[in-house]
Amino acid sequence: MNSPSRDEILSRLKSARKIAPTERPAAPVLSERALNSGQMLERFTAELAAQTGTTYTAKGVQDARRILSEIAAAEGFKKVITAGIDTHGVDIKSWGREGAVNVLTHEELKDRESLREAAFTADAGITFADFAVAETGTIGIVFDKDQPRLASIAPPVHIAIVPVEKLYPVYEDVIEKVFADKNKIPGHFAFITGPSATADIQAIGFKGMHGPVKVMVIFIVNGEK
Amino acid sequence: MHNRVDKFREIASREMQNELSRAFLLMLSLGAPIMRQIGMSSFPDPDCAEAYGRAIRAEAIERMPELLEEFEKNAEASGAKVIWAKDAGEANAAVLKIAKERNISYVTKGKSMVTEETGLNEHLIENGVDVFESDLGEVITQMLGRLPFHIVGPALNVPPGEISDIFLKKGIIKEPTDIFLKKGIIKEPTENPVELGRAARVFLREKFRRLEMGIVGVNMAVAETGTIINVENEGNIRMNKSSPKTLVAIMSLEKVVPTMTDALHMARILSRNCTGQKLTGYVSMDTGPKKPGEIDGPEELFIIIVDNGRSEIYRDVKVREILRCIRCGACLNTCPVYSKIGGYPYGFSYSGPMGQIINPMLLGIGSTADLYRACTLCGACKNICPAGIDHPSLLLEYRARQKGQGNMPVFERMTATAASVAMASGSLWSIGAKCARPLLNSFAKDGYIKNMPLVAKGWFACRDLRAMPRKTFREMWKELNKSSADKKESI
Repeated sequence: MNSPSRDEILSRLKSARKIAPTERPAAPVLSERALNSGQMLERFTAELAAQTGTTYTAKGVQDARRILSEIAAAEGFKKVITAGIDTHGVDIKSWGREGAVNVLTHEELKDRESLREAAFTADAGITFADFAVAETGTIGIVFDKDQPRLASIAPPVHIAIVPVEKLYPVYEDVIEKVFADKNKIPGHFAFITGPSATADIQAIGFKGMHGPVKVMVIFIVNGEK
Repeated sequence: MHNRVDKFREIASREMQNELSRAFLLMLSLGAPIMRQIGMSSFPDPDCAEAYGRAIRAEAIERMPELLEEFEKNAEASGAKVIWAKDAGEANAAVLKIAKERNISYVTKGKSMVTEETGLNEHLIENGVDVFESDLGEVITQMLGRLPFHIVGPALNVPPGEISDIFLKKGIIKEPTDIFLKKGIIKEPTENPVELGRAARVFLREKFRRLEMGIVGVNMAVAETGTIINVENEGNIRMNKSSPKTLVAIMSLEKVVPTMTDALHMARILSRNCTGQKLTGYVSMDTGPKKPGEIDGPEELFIIIVDNGRSEIYRDVKVREILRCIRCGACLNTCPVYSKIGGYPYGFSYSGPMGQIINPMLLGIGSTADLYRACTLCGACKNICPAGIDHPSLLLEYRARQKGQGNMPVFERMTATAASVAMASGSLWSIGAKCARPLLNSFAKDGYIKNMPLVAKGWFACRDLRAMPRKTFREMWKELNKSSADKKESI
């Protein structure tokens, strides 16, 4: 579009004196890689709790549905938004029918307008997270045609469901997988650590600035996939 | 952005009288470095982590030309449109053109320092595109029409009462429209920071919900994948990236890093140095626009790469290292000058030691002398800097250049010349000291010189000098040697 500016900037940069970068020191050790799976879960739970997030472990998908029902009753959910393709087999749609919660899947919301309407008015967004990271109690979500972006950011509660096998020690373990194939990099990938937050007025912090006020993570253990 | 760097002294003197700001700055300068320290000590080996981060920044800048080309190639391969802008004018015009072509009536914006630098908001608003800042601190600074007080929290110092007033005036606190108000979490105008934040949430949710074009900055641009990464806590950037059809990301040249692994390490370092967190709430990575079959996310992603003086800085090898800065703000919190005067006197987008090294290179050595001279060269910023920038040496370099340009006040130049001649010779120095003593001490009162007439007056406006002692050190030393020699002889 404006290649003269591009060429001008780059030629100026390239005409500058080159200084060979000094060799890098040894990369820092990622001590979390020594954690076993029990320790990883412990670390994840503690880190997320520090951000006011709650971690649940569900023994299989039925147990996950039970936990979801408990949360829904406690929070008074009437409408939730979730992904149409239920990758983890929890079947949120039928769960909603049982508990009289209106479940909207993104596939039913064919266009941007109806998706936005649903996401901004839902009581909760339920996502099928692709990864969890023990280091900081973080979940990693690949956003693609099976996972709308707004479900994780617009509703006041975000519940992420993730199989415990997808819990890794550090971010690098996740990024290696997400960015492995250069031709299949997702348009949007996010690490999410607890609810949205701010401390922009007088350094007084609170959760729930623009995104969720609460974040809950349900690990499915021994889960049928 | 219209800069006010020429008013540094005036605004600094005013801010020093602002007791609320002073109290807040005291708290910030005590608390923030501790938070950072706690964050850094969560690394198994903090020194190693810091050294590695500094090495990444050094390498990224040395390899910047090739990395930018690699980034551009990969970003375009993923479907993003890359636009290069020489200066603020080109960058602003490019954004306006995108908005106008799509009949955009308003945009929301994530916090972006480079757009503060280019004055993007003013340009869009003047041309009929309304702009809503969406970071809470930026919402407040935009409404008050102020500069950022601090790079991390631009309105940290503003008292809640003042925010409440402006929110009422701008209609942010009004009828219930959101789940928070419906659930009775907030009811009416308030000075409670949490409730004010929630009111801004309600106001901006409506904007996000109908948003057609979002604007965000970029924390890191990854060369190997063409990915842009944003680091944030509030979720406003993810709203901007998720809701609208059109997304514009604006980055300056130096945001580029070689690999995803490097970016992850820098995210750890940036979070700890910014807020003491191990990782911010959201780290989002966009590689091109949304893919086929996706409902939300941008149909078009524009990445505007802004130079605005940086390629000249790059060519100037003595100051090139200022491009390593990752805008974390750690140097502000540790600076003894910033923690007395706050961010306003620096008169531009960047304040504190960061502003003292960047603003003169962006705005010119000639008009920014107060910035690089308002420093005791204590080195606290250099010690804390996660990018490995040597601020004191840069400030000395700017001072030397200013002298070279002949911009120094006559009296100061004469004093400096006299001092350098005298200091080079022991005998001249002691003669000078002997001559100066009675002159200086004639102004002394109770052992202190608190004022002097004429040109020296300014120096004493905020400093006292101890009266010169009866004898200099050399004289005392001579006498001491002599008397001990006498003693030896007498034994």
